[in-house]
Amino acid sequence: MAHAYVPEIAVDREGNEHVVQGWQDDFYGGKLGFWLFMLTEVMMFGGMFLALAYYNTLHPQDFLDASASLNRLLGGTNTVILLISALTMGLGLLKMRAGDVKGSKLMIWATILLAVLFLVIKGFEWTAEYNHGIFLMHGEMLPESTMAFGKKLFFGMYFTMTGLHGFHIIIGIGLMIWLLKRINAGKVSPEHYILHFNIALYWDIVHLIWVFVFPYYYMIGAATGGTSGH
Amino acid sequence: MGTNTTVNYKEEKVVYYKVLVGLLLLTAVTFVQPHLFMTHSTFLAQMLIAVVKAWLIVIYYMHLKGEKLIGSMVIFALFLVLVFFVIVIGVDVTNFQFGAESYITAPATTGAEHVTAPAHH
Repeated sequence: MAHAYVPEIAVDREGNEHVVQGWQDDFYGGKLGFWLFMLTEVMMFGGMFLALAYYNTLHPQDFLDASASLNRLLGGTNTVILLISALTMGLGLLKMRAGDVKGSKLMIWATILLAVLFLVIKGFEWTAEYNHGIFLMHGEMLPESTMAFGKKLFFGMYFTMTGLHGFHIIIGIGLMIWLLKRINAGKVSPEHYILHFNIALYWDIVHLIWVFVFPYYYMIGAATGGTSGH
Repeated sequence: MGTNTTVNYKEEKVVYYKVLVGLLLLTAVTFVQPHLFMTHSTFLAQMLIAVVKAWLIVIYYMHLKGEKLIGSMVIFALFLVLVFFVIVIGVDVTNFQFGAESYITAPATTGAEHVTAPAHH
């Protein structure tokens, strides 16, 4: 049962009734607000990328060597998975706007599955790196290890940023499940789809961040290494 | 775009697929670039490809085409990050980077070049 908007009525001194302006259907306001939130995400990851760029100027060779040791095959697979998931999410929104609610839900489920696949692959990658002694405060990353300092910085930033990105993926899965519940409850419909629109935007920014994470970490040292990495 | 705008599903779907093909092609270019072109400027080439991919996503997938207000907000936010970062890094470089304790360069005890480096205080 869709939520029915009941306007608030204000009465003036003469007893005339006036409808108070409601903002529940302010689509542009909802979109603008969500963009403001996303700009904070851009600033957070932007700051990290700038820090990474600065560290890169301090330890250029260490960064190339560390990048060469990452698994480009798994990283590339995850890139394609996120790319397709952005399409399924976008098509889901399109189907919703066109009135195909069932098709829209299927596309959201497809996006969730792709997101889970991304995390599983990331899990395998991190496990392999852990087994090679490369993880935060573990093995080669410990202060007393002989690993080059620049490499420690690179891997420290790598685990921080891919971990934060992975956390955003988990949040995204939660949001999509919530969206499905809202669609089932009739709160999101072809007439009122701002929530769907904003969650699709969120998924796009998660994809957008990976568009920069992947080349920065996996590809800058590609000319010196193979594809398998750790 | 209002909440009740009509949608031309077939037309918009074609745009989504065209952008997907573009992004897949650029991803393929990302993979071959280090061995094919700009081999001595891999970092620059990779970031340029990423910027083109990001532009496609922002304009078409995030519906920013024609959104002047939000578009200028995005540019302003990026500019803000850059300005603050330059100030913070500037302070760090001039005051702390070459000090005895640094978290972004090798510890002074393991790097001989840092032992002899003068402290800029």
